[in-house]
Amino acid sequence: MPSFLSLLLLSIILATVSAGSDYTERLLLRPLPQSALLASFNFRSNDSQLSFEEQNFRYFPRSLGQILQHAHTKELHLRFSLGRWDAESWGQRPWNGAREGGTGVELWAWVEADDEDEAFSRWLTLTNALSGLFCASLNFIDATKTIRPVMSFQPEGDHSNAPNLHLLHGTLPHEVVCTENLTPFLKLLPCKGKAGISSLLDGHKLFDASWQTMSIDVRPTCGIDGHCTLEMEQSVDMVLDIDRSKRPRDNPIPRPLPIEEIKCDTSKGYNAGDTCYPLDKSSEPSWNLTEVFGRSLKGACPLTDQEGENAETVCINTPPERTVDVNTTGSYIESRAVGDTLRCYKLPTGHDFDLNLPSQQMTTGLVLPSPPLSAARSINGHGQERGSIQTVITNPSPTSAVEFVYLESLPWFMKPYLHTLRARISASPENPVLETYYRPAVDRLRGTHLELRMRIPAASTLTLSYDFEKAILRYTEYPPDANRGFDVAPAVISLIDPAASDGRGQYVRTTSLLLPLPTPDFSMPYNVIILTSTVMALGFGNIFNLLVRRFVGAEEVVAGGGGLGALVRGKIDRLKGLLGK
Amino acid sequence: MALIATLLALRKDARILKLPPYLSAICIIVGVAWLLVLPLDEYSRNTYVSENALLPGQVHTYFTGSEHNIFRAYRHEVAGLADRSVEERTQRLSDIFRSSNLKVATQRYSYQAAGRNISNQNVYAVLQGPRADATEAIVLIGAWTNMDGQINHSGVALVLTLARYFKRWSLWSKDVIFLVSGDSTSGPQAWVDAYHDSHNPDTIESLSIKSGALQGAVAVDYPAGPWGHRYDKLHIVYDGVNGQLPNLDLFNTAVNIANGQMGISCTLQRMWKHGDSYQERLQTMLRGMISQGLGHASGPHSSFMPYHVDAITLQTVGDGWHDEMGLGRTVESLFRSLNNLLEHLHQSFFFYLLLHSKRFVSIGTYLPSAMLIAANFSITAIALWVQSGRSTSPIPNPASTSPPSTKANEKPETTMTAVKTPDGSTTLIPTPLLSITERALFLPLSFILFTHFLGLLPLYIFNNTPEPYLRLSFETTLALTTALPLLIARALSLFHRPTHQETTLIQCFSLLLLGMFLAALATLNFSLSFLIGILTTPLSFVRASRNRLVALPALGVLLALNPVVVIRAATVYWGKDVVEILVQAAEGWHVWGLWTQVVVWLVWWPSWFAGAVVVGSGLFA
Repeated sequence: MPSFLSLLLLSIILATVSAGSDYTERLLLRPLPQSALLASFNFRSNDSQLSFEEQNFRYFPRSLGQILQHAHTKELHLRFSLGRWDAESWGQRPWNGAREGGTGVELWAWVEADDEDEAFSRWLTLTNALSGLFCASLNFIDATKTIRPVMSFQPEGDHSNAPNLHLLHGTLPHEVVCTENLTPFLKLLPCKGKAGISSLLDGHKLFDASWQTMSIDVRPTCGIDGHCTLEMEQSVDMVLDIDRSKRPRDNPIPRPLPIEEIKCDTSKGYNAGDTCYPLDKSSEPSWNLTEVFGRSLKGACPLTDQEGENAETVCINTPPERTVDVNTTGSYIESRAVGDTLRCYKLPTGHDFDLNLPSQQMTTGLVLPSPPLSAARSINGHGQERGSIQTVITNPSPTSAVEFVYLESLPWFMKPYLHTLRARISASPENPVLETYYRPAVDRLRGTHLELRMRIPAASTLTLSYDFEKAILRYTEYPPDANRGFDVAPAVISLIDPAASDGRGQYVRTTSLLLPLPTPDFSMPYNVIILTSTVMALGFGNIFNLLVRRFVGAEEVVAGGGGLGALVRGKIDRLKGLLGK
Repeated sequence: MALIATLLALRKDARILKLPPYLSAICIIVGVAWLLVLPLDEYSRNTYVSENALLPGQVHTYFTGSEHNIFRAYRHEVAGLADRSVEERTQRLSDIFRSSNLKVATQRYSYQAAGRNISNQNVYAVLQGPRADATEAIVLIGAWTNMDGQINHSGVALVLTLARYFKRWSLWSKDVIFLVSGDSTSGPQAWVDAYHDSHNPDTIESLSIKSGALQGAVAVDYPAGPWGHRYDKLHIVYDGVNGQLPNLDLFNTAVNIANGQMGISCTLQRMWKHGDSYQERLQTMLRGMISQGLGHASGPHSSFMPYHVDAITLQTVGDGWHDEMGLGRTVESLFRSLNNLLEHLHQSFFFYLLLHSKRFVSIGTYLPSAMLIAANFSITAIALWVQSGRSTSPIPNPASTSPPSTKANEKPETTMTAVKTPDGSTTLIPTPLLSITERALFLPLSFILFTHFLGLLPLYIFNNTPEPYLRLSFETTLALTTALPLLIARALSLFHRPTHQETTLIQCFSLLLLGMFLAALATLNFSLSFLIGILTTPLSFVRASRNRLVALPALGVLLALNPVVVIRAATVYWGKDVVEILVQAAEGWHVWGLWTQVVVWLVWWPSWFAGAVVVGSGLFA
């Protein structure tokens, strides 16, 4: 019977770390089942509000700071995400889902402005500037993709001295996050990927991960003494497949293993030299940082604290029995916490640091906290005209009901029928919808914005469904890959949990959807163009000929053969004729 | 203007009504000849891959080595499950999928058709593409039993092995779903219905795990037992329910990969030997047309087509030297190609007739043949309408320039009417020319309505009769439908109906409907429209005639082309049991959403019935 150790303490420790100091960074490694590895990078820079306003940047990046000042943005949340979090195997999301976004790019910000129009124009300034900074198509977040959430998002920062704040939210579900977004992300860090834990971030491995999210959060925090600081938090969370990441970059092909390396079930009656029933791997795989991240960790970033808790920048969360060997030439300090399930290391400066975990047969495991909700959304029905969306939200907790806000931001060409909205709870007739906020779409101007506050009783399933109609777009409104379908942004579920203390909230996002729209045959216009061109050419040619050419009888043609001489003679004769008259 | 005036003058000419039968005959002859020239090089084209993204056969395949050992083990596992219960089988298959770290779910389903209860279970596993965003998915199907009822040992084992193998790759841009369906027809149907939430949740379980929009599906049918069997060719089955076809690109990709990359030759429509001669091409095309015309499910892939998911089945046939790893690598390469797709398959043709694995005819080339056949009915219908409006008394041609015939004096004198023209002159016009013939529409219209409603009766009976009574009801229908037109004609003759004009109108409306239905159907299911068109061509030429020498052979031809007799004859010709066909049709109606019987009973049968009554009425008049 493996003993299970709680992780609840851990999240509290991670949340409280680093208040006060100017720059901290931390990497948390947590092996997950099925040879997956969660790596959570967190970087936090603080600058005082006063020096920020005086454009005196120290840890806060100037490029981003000036954009925020120019766009009058007081709080900013930017997410780049790829892949899916497998809650069934991996448990609760890192940071309770507060530091992740839907597939693609998600951005929301509190902008200071006198009225909505001004707020929107500042929002456009912000998205355009960020688009340039992060090499992402954020400038495509226009009015049709922008909503103003009412219940889903709460500011994390302290905004007591900024009364006219407007929350705007936009998503780009089709945006493919890649290395060009990582490079500017790393440049915002004080150590810029040269030292510290950020030296492990390599585009090849990051974007080969099973799930990854990059986030930037800027918020003002004020102490009791009225001294305010502007805090920027950057984090990268990813789940790596250890087997896949360990493959060398020059030979990444998962060829079938030689049969000698596969463990066969010899108890099977048919087991023979050419027949092998593969056995599951029961031991934890061996790995080290250099292998898994494709780079070595180049010591500590010198800007982090040298003393105290914040100096321990690499933490690994494993059962105490797991062997973890440290491989470095410098001096390091190891400390253990939370019943030895958390080992943290203070890195040497200027020396490479590596953690080496050999293959090991484990008797204990960590109990992964289960997520408070799980949600799956899909498009049902088929055909070119209508469809329906179904969202299944499950509350696994046997005891406590969960209250949450469900936010849906739909493109304008997907027109929901609100009267078909049904929310049913398994084995209960009560209506789970407590409050509805709905802002219908306007064609080509804005999308649908739907927020539902709902309550789901313990151990039950909520099925939310509504029908929608597909609009027919204009010919030029289709993207080049029109037959792929159109991406629909993920729904955001934010939990209303009075017990949450870190002020960030808890979020669950569904996957994005692909909406097939009626698509014209794009080769048809070309056929029409070709046909009309032919008709035009024929008609034009004939009329042109009739107008310009002179038709003469064969016998009228001057004899004497062709050639230049005849031509010139003909011209002269004609000229003579004209002059003669 | 002169031309129009001439045409208008011709309108009343008696000769104009002599033309339509010849026009109809020409339409039919050209239509059939059109179809017969299609296999020639000049009218068919070589297949080509139209979608650039597919890049068939451009990747190395690595499904070899130790995977073969694992495949053999899985094949033994599958063989061990052959005589186990459905629950045990589902459990074991789920365990194998789960050991490959896939998300596994099961689905129970049960259907009632022809008094039979079809119930079984599907097992499926979802490989979540490591970098995919759950918006798209492709499906690999291994039905537990194939279309012939054999256990698909190697096919299922191959799906299990490929699931384990695919899981290691990180390049999947779409989710890959591995489906082991309970059988080859209703299992995939239940699954794909539930995937799109258009199922009946009382009898078919909803799916607990779903992925994104399905982009393509490939089924493998390889029933070789635990000790394997080397095959000769891959038989690619592509017909969907109701004659829907997958995008030609998918077929071409499969042929291209199997043929070009793996060296496995491909065949289609059960043409085990295909020398690419005219006869073989024609035979392939006709087999394809019959299969398409019947519209039945031809494999696990068929159910996917109505949801606009392109799908094919790869079936191993013959004795040769290709082994299971060759098939596995073909599937691997095919999935790598599908994985490349940026858009839903849309580039290539959805309407085509295949003549050979590398030769096809596209809709623009073949459609005129069925349209011509359909047009022949419309032409006859218009002619009959015009004819029904003519007065029965002969109209002389007073302005005729031809010398009066010798019998001219015997002709009764035509009455003339004096008509004053606006300019004051008077002209004499034969009175019959000015008389208006009223069309008595009530009987013909109600008769046509009645026959079409009558068609609902056999449609209902055959779809809902339990299996033991099917033979009886078929034989009864056979006898009744043969006798009914004569009985109706006799009964009507007691009331001295229908009159000559009424029979003409009955035939006119019946052919008008037939022509319209067939023309519309030709764009949806060319083959069905063509086949029914050919079988109903005599309806254009039979008329109510009192001459027994004409009427009796016409009646004989019609009775032979009774849809029920045709079905009976076809089952005898192909050596099938008629009950089996009817059971399959009933299953098709209740499970797959088959529409062929609607066309048979509500389009073909009423038009035949009307024609037979018309001919019969001539006999009894």
